[in-house]
Amino acid sequence: MSRTGFVHQALRYGSDVELLGGTVDFATDGLAAGDAVLAVVAARNIPLLREALGDRSRQVEFVAADDWYDYPSRTLGRYHAYCDRHGPNRRVRVIGEPVWAGRSGFETREWMRYESLLNVAFADSPHWILCPYDTRRLPALVVETAARTHPELDDGSISSVYADPAHFYAECDAHCPDQVPGAADRIPITRDGSAAVRRAVAAYARRAGLPEQRTYDLVAAAHETVVNVLRHGGGRGVVRLHGDQDHLICEISDEGAHTSSPLPDFPGHLPPEPRAPNGHGLWLVRQLTDLVTERLDPAGSVVRLYFRRPAA
Amino acid sequence: MAVSPTRTTVGRMRQGDHLLLGYDTDEERETVLAAFLLDGLACGHRGLLLPPADIPAGVALSFLEAYGCRVDEELAAGRLCVDAHLAQPEGLWDLDEVIRREARRAVGDGYLGLRVATEVLRAQAGRGLKSLHDSELLLDPVFASLPVLGICQYDRRVFDESELAPLAGLHHGRVGADQVWHDDLLSITRTFAPPGLALAGEVDDTNVTAVARALHAERARPHSRTPDGPRTRLDLRDLLFIDVGALRLLVFSALALSAAGGTLVLCGVAPHVQRVMRVAGWDRVPGLRLEPAGPTP
Repeated sequence: MSRTGFVHQALRYGSDVELLGGTVDFATDGLAAGDAVLAVVAARNIPLLREALGDRSRQVEFVAADDWYDYPSRTLGRYHAYCDRHGPNRRVRVIGEPVWAGRSGFETREWMRYESLLNVAFADSPHWILCPYDTRRLPALVVETAARTHPELDDGSISSVYADPAHFYAECDAHCPDQVPGAADRIPITRDGSAAVRRAVAAYARRAGLPEQRTYDLVAAAHETVVNVLRHGGGRGVVRLHGDQDHLICEISDEGAHTSSPLPDFPGHLPPEPRAPNGHGLWLVRQLTDLVTERLDPAGSVVRLYFRRPAA
Repeated sequence: MAVSPTRTTVGRMRQGDHLLLGYDTDEERETVLAAFLLDGLACGHRGLLLPPADIPAGVALSFLEAYGCRVDEELAAGRLCVDAHLAQPEGLWDLDEVIRREARRAVGDGYLGLRVATEVLRAQAGRGLKSLHDSELLLDPVFASLPVLGICQYDRRVFDESELAPLAGLHHGRVGADQVWHDDLLSITRTFAPPGLALAGEVDDTNVTAVARALHAERARPHSRTPDGPRTRLDLRDLLFIDVGALRLLVFSALALSAAGGTLVLCGVAPHVQRVMRVAGWDRVPGLRLEPAGPTP
């Protein structure tokens, strides 16, 4: 089957036969059409798919899903980079099977948000993403939500429950953790004080045992968020540093600029133009941080940066 | 005498300082010397140049014109002097006497002190640079006792570092050009070989304009016009942090240079900075080139 324009489909499969039935022709048709074909699937599915494709599997790039689907924003960045590498005019077909096992409720919600965001991020592209969902293994909520985040299902039928990405985004926000636990170090944000924030964040990250590279990433992400407070958030705010069992959490809140300047849709989720005068900061924040939640509001914004604690 | 490898900048010199300038290019020499002599005029000091060759005073000091100095007027008034003493074959022997006499004369003429800049030809330095060593040794009590400060110039294209190191030990340290910018987070210095700027420390929202100003001024340096179009070189090996706003400025500058057929070269960019550039989509900007740091200057 051939299509033009972006296609994003969920393939809900209950057996190996159903998985192969939905993916082999998809890959074969793509190769025949000169498309780049990338298969990011559960490790157990790689040999299955390879065998079914036979010789043609050499033309397909395989990646184990656990390596690819680490954090939603970074996976999104990875897809963008992959598609950029294959040129603006060549279609990329992706078999993309997200990882749901071992995710907390918060993480699961952010991966659902990611699936919905793909519809926005690649809307103007010619690419075709097919997302297998293993109904034998996945929780019912994950499978049901796939029908809300993919415009098309299985055999190309239109999903009757597909949710507009902006609405789905707001719904995910409503599920974000409301409070962060524990006592926090507080650093006030001042016009000339971004360096003081960087010092405090770096010291906190090192105390918590974050590796040097991730410490730099946290410092850079916190700094860009503070710069946004100074530029867009009225300039007054506070950085709070604390952690829960899984994450170091850096919360940046401001008192708001109380202007009516429009807030960006899907802030930081869409790759900025290299020559744009703005928009790189929040994109970078999301790419450097494991999970970001944000509530941008002219009356006062809150951004939380979650960095996974290093394994003990 | 303190034999420490300290390095100061010309604008921080004070009376009694007897410093060594090892320069790589004429631009470097003229930059340091111009600051030294013009600071002297501002401080009420007489400036005395002792060049290694007998050339007319106006020619020897002509590089000051580019800094807005009216050399002929200053020479006529005696605020600047040129003495060909070191152009004589035996000029080194009584250099201490010359400077002692000139310092006293400057005070007698109503100046607050004397700034002296010397340079000798390698041929006059004596076998194994012995006469040079002896001469520098004799100078020390002069600087200790009189209102004088001085720079001894050594062309590093002629004297190699193994020769300069012991000579530097006979001075109070080395002197270099003034920093272009210095604050709690960042210092920007001009490099001469290769020509460009070196950024050390952190660039963020508070000091990005200083970087912009320095980059802009860099376009006016003569070396920035090359056969391959305008070229600006930034040494970033000691850069610890740079934020998105500052990287955006570098990208903008690179695009501007590229539009004129030129290049912005970034040297020694740390891996974590390169990663940020890649993530932001700034790793493939026309006119922006990354190079390894090269040897430590």
